Amino acid sequence: MSSILFENKKDFEALLMGNDAIARGALEAGVNVVTGYPGTPSSEIVEQLANVAGERNLYVEWSVNEKVALEVAAAGSYANLKSLCVMKQVGVNVAADSLLHIAEYGTRGPLVLVSCEDPGALSSTNEGDSRPYAKMMEFPLLEPGDFQEAKDMARWAFELSCDIRNIVMLRSVTRLSHASGNVIMGKLPKSIPEAIFEFSGTPMDQMKGAVLAFPTLVDSLRRRQHEKLSKAVAAFEESPFNTYTGPQKPELLIITSSVCNLYTREALTILNLWDRVGLLKLGTTWPLPSKLLEQHLSVCEKIFIVEEGTPFLEDNIKVMAAEKAKQVGIKTFFGRKDGTLPCVNELNPDLLIKGINHILGTSVQPVLDDYSAEAAQIIAAGVFNRELTFCPGCPHRASFWLIHTALKLDNRSGFLCGDIGCYGLGAGPCGFSTIKILQAMGSGIGMAGGFGKFDRFGMSQSVMAVCGDSTFFHAAMPALVNAVHNQSDMILVVLDNSGTAMTGFQPHPGSPAGAMGSKLPMLDIEKLCRAMDVRVEVSDPFDLKATRQILLEFLEDKGNPRVLILKQPCALSPIRKGRKMYEMAIDADRCLADHCGCNRLCTRVFKCPGLIWDTIKNKIQIDEVLCAGCGVCASICPTGAITAKKVR
Amino acid sequence: MDKDDKNQQGQQGINTKVLKQGLCTGCCACVNLCPSIEYYKDKTILVHDCNLEKGRCFTYCPRTPTDFEMLRCALFNPGDMVLEIGAFKGLYMTRAADENIRAGAQHGGTVTALIQLALDQGFIDEAILADQNDQFLPAAQSIVDKDEVSGKSGSKFAVSPTLSVFNRISKTDTGKIGVVATPCQALALAKMKVNPVPEDKMRMEKLRLVLGLFCGWALDWRKLQKLLKEKTGDRKIKGIDILPSKYACMEVYTMDGTIEIPIEEVNTCVRDNCRYCFDMTCEFADISVGAARSPEGWDVDRGWNQVIVRTDLGGQLLALAREKGVLEFKAVPDKNIENLKKASAGKKLTCLINLSEKTGNPDDFIYIDPEDPVVRHIKKLRG
Ligand SMILES: Cc1cc2nc3c(=O)[nH]c(=O)nc-3n(C[C@H](O)[C@H](O)[C@H](O)COP(=O)(O)OP(=O)(O)OC[C@H]3O[C@@H](n4cnc5c(N)ncnc54)[C@H](O)[C@@H]3O)c2cc1C
Ligand code: SF4
Ligand code: SF4
Repeated sequence: MSSILFENKKDFEALLMGNDAIARGALEAGVNVVTGYPGTPSSEIVEQLANVAGERNLYVEWSVNEKVALEVAAAGSYANLKSLCVMKQVGVNVAADSLLHIAEYGTRGPLVLVSCEDPGALSSTNEGDSRPYAKMMEFPLLEPGDFQEAKDMARWAFELSCDIRNIVMLRSVTRLSHASGNVIMGKLPKSIPEAIFEFSGTPMDQMKGAVLAFPTLVDSLRRRQHEKLSKAVAAFEESPFNTYTGPQKPELLIITSSVCNLYTREALTILNLWDRVGLLKLGTTWPLPSKLLEQHLSVCEKIFIVEEGTPFLEDNIKVMAAEKAKQVGIKTFFGRKDGTLPCVNELNPDLLIKGINHILGTSVQPVLDDYSAEAAQIIAAGVFNRELTFCPGCPHRASFWLIHTALKLDNRSGFLCGDIGCYGLGAGPCGFSTIKILQAMGSGIGMAGGFGKFDRFGMSQSVMAVCGDSTFFHAAMPALVNAVHNQSDMILVVLDNSGTAMTGFQPHPGSPAGAMGSKLPMLDIEKLCRAMDVRVEVSDPFDLKATRQILLEFLEDKGNPRVLILKQPCALSPIRKGRKMYEMAIDADRCLADHCGCNRLCTRVFKCPGLIWDTIKNKIQIDEVLCAGCGVCASICPTGAITAKKVR
Repeated sequence: MDKDDKNQQGQQGINTKVLKQGLCTGCCACVNLCPSIEYYKDKTILVHDCNLEKGRCFTYCPRTPTDFEMLRCALFNPGDMVLEIGAFKGLYMTRAADENIRAGAQHGGTVTALIQLALDQGFIDEAILADQNDQFLPAAQSIVDKDEVSGKSGSKFAVSPTLSVFNRISKTDTGKIGVVATPCQALALAKMKVNPVPEDKMRMEKLRLVLGLFCGWALDWRKLQKLLKEKTGDRKIKGIDILPSKYACMEVYTMDGTIEIPIEEVNTCVRDNCRYCFDMTCEFADISVGAARSPEGWDVDRGWNQVIVRTDLGGQLLALAREKGVLEFKAVPDKNIENLKKASAGKKLTCLINLSEKTGNPDDFIYIDPEDPVVRHIKKLRG
């Protein structure tokens, strides 16, 4: 499967998405092992590389979670292979323990960790910034500032890792990963790897000794780690990825990295300030190239630090300026901390124009403050109001309908702990606001396990948790083990829709094939739960009657955790092949409309987008195009006005 | 009625003015009218929110503001009115002639015998009766075959979801329906019958007979279950009865004999809403049946019933029962009517006191009009 991305030519130019550019960079570096856990905005990198796994002789896997992904990649490094590990910002937290130890020991074959982050939380539950890990755990950090750099720096990250023999982190953000730009390709190398893990040397022999994190070795390991960092700084001082544009003695020095580079350039061009303002774009953001910074800090008094996420650069540069106060003099800093830029959310050229206006007293009008409100208003007139909702035929709608009903009937102010996946929408109207706690992957089950122990403190509410099939393997299993072992009174509902639906159906350990498409054994969630000796039931969420009964029985039951696996593939899942299970129709005479008493339960509460209220006939109607033919609405209509005929 | 009240005559009103006030009787008049309210294990539950400003649930609920006088005028002969016990055509002491019926009945088996007769003689085509499972959780059932009636005998001391079944059955193309109802259920049926929303007119015409049960209070099933478990352990329970107040206990009949539970403990299981109930003798029925009282003492009385006839239909049914020899009759002691009036007035007074305590206003009885003639009478009795 070849695309322009993988063409084995050099010096040709192509329009590439940031993530594709990173994948290409890894290929140009001769990567052998690629691992990751899906998560927007990172997923395409592993997917693209999986596409050429055969052609380029790669080993590519979607690992069970980010920690294991990093460990598999580290094994690659210790086997003298070139390894790439990809995740989104939250994943770095999952991988952190292993990351600390890998960084402390160092690597053999190059190991590059790519973290694609999400300032503005466009597709995340947080604005996590993983850059501080580089400082905290003492390894180098690179941040590409455009699409060409995304590719070039990805390739260079492998070289750097090889030189200093430690892990290197490359950080991207949504607007780089998912936007596109022109990239000139380099050549793809021929590499014939030979994997071997050597352990014949002494423990401090990094290339040949056993890889041991022993208390007695820590002192030496850390000294060695610091030497690697010094080596990295030396390379950074000379790095072509740190660039300066502007006058020799600027009135204002802007220091930035990542896509903020592009925003700043745009702002300076609009403001026509290139002759007054200097732009120091850093591609190597930890450890900081101190000589380079000293040189630039000393020629300008006003320093404006432009970055998204935490004030990582800002804090580190301030520390450096303090250390070098004698050489560089007293500086005035502007950035996220003093409010020149907002301290949360993404940046954009308008915010930068405002910031520069504030510093230099320029008065170019950026986009008006009420622009987005006004635009929304204008658009609203011509666009249907679309709610955040589950797709037509989504099994989650039926599952939440059932859980909501069961918790209501149970009548003990019960609640549902959520997890990360499409089903997080269960906190909103399309999930009947059933989820009341939603945080990290697996944390819903962990917390439910806690709530389920608080009867001794008078807690009498029923406690339920949901997770998806991928999440079950990722982080729910230990939490379930904990709940079982501690005999927590909780119910786990696994919403098994046969794939990692939200990020694009990447396979997981319950899938029949892996990232590279070859057949793999499927782990059975039911068997795993049974092995934990809990009460397990499997049901079809589209069978409202049977599933409701099980849920009500589970709620009556007491003591140990109970697990209900609701199996029904995602409405968009490739295994459904877009086929309808039922041909839906309306028996118009039966729809009593305003005389029914249901107050339009179908379109007011259940609200599948496949159902529309015909305002002229004042009756329910099926939207033939949207309806996925799941048949569920037929079971919720109290008069049987919606009919379902089995297809096939 | 203020503006907010006007906009809350649907499910929201049920929620704020009935459920949250602790007034819900569990009668299930609001269940099976729509998919958003369900009965589950002795609780009436709002499963899905409904924002209709006016709804049948609110209209028929016996705990939403009710014009009692209008209902009395519509259903009964004004000349029959007795302020304490409602329409009154006569008080009788009866029991089923059939010994087998009596054996399985709560008291004299009058209700069972009358329902059998009503089905047999075509007064009604279906009867909605209360059954229960082995954990004493009531379930209502519609019975067509008169031979199945005696299988439903005996009091279920938690509220039965009888009206949810009435709502379901009356929507089908069934014939005349008879309902055995507690006072709250009979009141809801009266509201439905007298003032149905247009869609329900046809449905309500099917309601032919309301056979009422006297009621002091009902028990909260969840609490009862806990108490029984505590007192009887794993013993199999055949039945329960609550003795007249001087015995101050509930008897639980088990395979290994009778266990007495002191009334104070039983009282902790009474449904909260029953403290706000204005009716002991089931005033909105055609005929009301309760336990008998006589100088002969409880051992004899427990096998008999006291019956109030309220409507012509009720009178006809009782007359037919006498004629057919279905019921046995005996003389009613002179004092009984006065005792009944006293007991009934006592329940009404407690209700008014409890309601005004809840509202903090001596003249605000939430669902009962302070100007209602019966209310005025009770207040006067109290002085
Ligand atoms: C909750 C409750 C409280 C009562 N409190 C009193 C009281 O304080 N004083 C008094 O004199 N009598 C009271 N009764 C009435 C009494 O228990 C007998 O039901 C009545 O005397 C009729 O006896 P019977 O032998 O004719 O009944 P049976 O021939 O045994 O027939 C009873 C009929 O009532 C139906 N039924 C049973 N339980 C319920 C229920 N919960 N809801 C609707 N229908 C039901 C059964 O299906 C059956 O058809 C109460 C009844 C109930 C259910
Ligand atoms: S069958 Fe009903 S619930 Fe399912 S997709 Fe179609 S309209 Fe939606
Ligand atoms: S009293 Fe009856 S009608 Fe009113 S809310 Fe309760 S169950 Fe519904």
